[in-house]
Amino acid sequence: MVNPKTPSQNSPHLPRKKMEEDRVLSSVHSTVFKESESLEGKCDKIEGYDFNQGVNYPKLLRSMLTTGFQASNLGEAIDVVNQMLDWRLADETTVPEDCSEEEKDPSYRESVKCKIFLGFTSNLVSSGVRDTIRYLVQHHMVDVIVTTTGGVEEDLIKCLAPTFKGDFSLPGAYLRSKGLNRIGNLLVPNDNYCKFEDWIIPIFDQMLKEQKEENVLWTPSKLLARLGKEINNESSYLYWAYKMNIPVFCPGLTDGSLGDMLYFHSFRTSGLVIDVVQDIRAMNGEAVHATPRKTGMIILGGGLPKHHICNANMMRNGADYAVFINTGQEFDGSDSGARPDEAVSWGKIRGSAKTVKVYCDATIAFPLLVAETFASKRTKP
Amino acid sequence: MSDEEHHFESSDAGASKTYPQQAGNIRKGGYIVIKGRPCKVVEVSTSKTGKHGHAKCHFVAIDIFTSKKLEDIVPSSHNCDVPHVNRVDYQLIDISEDGFVSLLTDNGSTKDDLKLPTDEALLTQLKSGFEEGKDIVVSVMSAMGEEQMCALKEVSPK
Repeated sequence: MVNPKTPSQNSPHLPRKKMEEDRVLSSVHSTVFKESESLEGKCDKIEGYDFNQGVNYPKLLRSMLTTGFQASNLGEAIDVVNQMLDWRLADETTVPEDCSEEEKDPSYRESVKCKIFLGFTSNLVSSGVRDTIRYLVQHHMVDVIVTTTGGVEEDLIKCLAPTFKGDFSLPGAYLRSKGLNRIGNLLVPNDNYCKFEDWIIPIFDQMLKEQKEENVLWTPSKLLARLGKEINNESSYLYWAYKMNIPVFCPGLTDGSLGDMLYFHSFRTSGLVIDVVQDIRAMNGEAVHATPRKTGMIILGGGLPKHHICNANMMRNGADYAVFINTGQEFDGSDSGARPDEAVSWGKIRGSAKTVKVYCDATIAFPLLVAETFASKRTKP
Repeated sequence: MSDEEHHFESSDAGASKTYPQQAGNIRKGGYIVIKGRPCKVVEVSTSKTGKHGHAKCHFVAIDIFTSKKLEDIVPSSHNCDVPHVNRVDYQLIDISEDGFVSLLTDNGSTKDDLKLPTDEALLTQLKSGFEEGKDIVVSVMSAMGEEQMCALKEVSPK
């Protein structure tokens, strides 16, 4: 018997070793190259934009859908918003037996569109996204707006004096000594807020007068409509919201410079009352009474605007469309970072809804989204 | 308007009750008018110009007659009203039954329109001192048309 451990040129065990190697090799091969399910026809292929066709911006934006990662999420968000804009009640083929005659009328059904809630945080109004928002409001492309106090005053202040581009790295103490306030890499001079104070205090005086003499009970949304009327400046989204009768809700009205002004005004001439109860009726009413319209939410950033809009939609068993654009993360359990699916668990978004979250700074994502949705639909014949 | 009637004010002609002063110049211990009341300032803090607008002075003050605490916030460049506060000493002549005191003025006439003080301690000291036949000099503080006894001292008879 030949010892297998002592190889020699023409030993009979060489074929066995080769068989062993072959077996190992084929096992490794099948692990690494595990036979895969074919995705052909089931998933989109990844393909980026080819600059050989020149710099074609609409095509470039459309290529995002197949580029992957957040570009794909933005592409999907664009799709969802276009669905929001395209939907008509006539698309719903099942007509409930108990609906009114009017609701059965085909031409009426063609006219009923999705109700769109737009929410955004104040930093975005300090940025140039304010002008994108103004465009949407100017052309009545959204139905309800929810924002924070800063989201209102930054828009008004820009009509009185501009915001400037600075840098994230500018030192705080130095800026303070120069009377400059930093918002990220933007700068707002103190003087702008002084101008705001000089502008708004007489308006509060007048509002207090109307409260006392004409029994007007002011709410945040009524106040904001009045401020939109008073600013009377086409660069302001608040002005257009007033003109287009689009309500702007700001339940946290005291948390900002506007709140400071209310505080000071109360020392000079006290008594101005602002009722938040009326406004929550109105806001939730926007959602509850939206039916038979579908509702869609476009929310930039987190915080109060995000939750307030989702909560209102909970009152109608959930929104039908939702697009979140923010940089929040869910690991800390915050509402700001929560994905649309978390809202589904609350009934704030329907299980059947079309939703997307784009993890991106809205200063990049939102103008691009509007270009491919609201703006391109408006400019098409 | 052709015929202008000239109105002559009876008292206080030419002497106004308050004068304007820039809020930034009013210090602790000074006087200020808040909600129409003459007050003595116990605290001033200034917040610099910022998101809340112009620089502002926050005053906490005590009404000199009612001792109530009042506060106000005024832009530091604005003018506030400062009351003229006077203190005059009078010799006590009599305490009447209906709650007024009779005082001897500098020029020998009597002043009978001052009410008894509301402050308990001062009132007790006044009444007991008067009943004991002591010579009492009272300090009367006046501002904005209101006056009140604010202190008294017993003087030894000459």
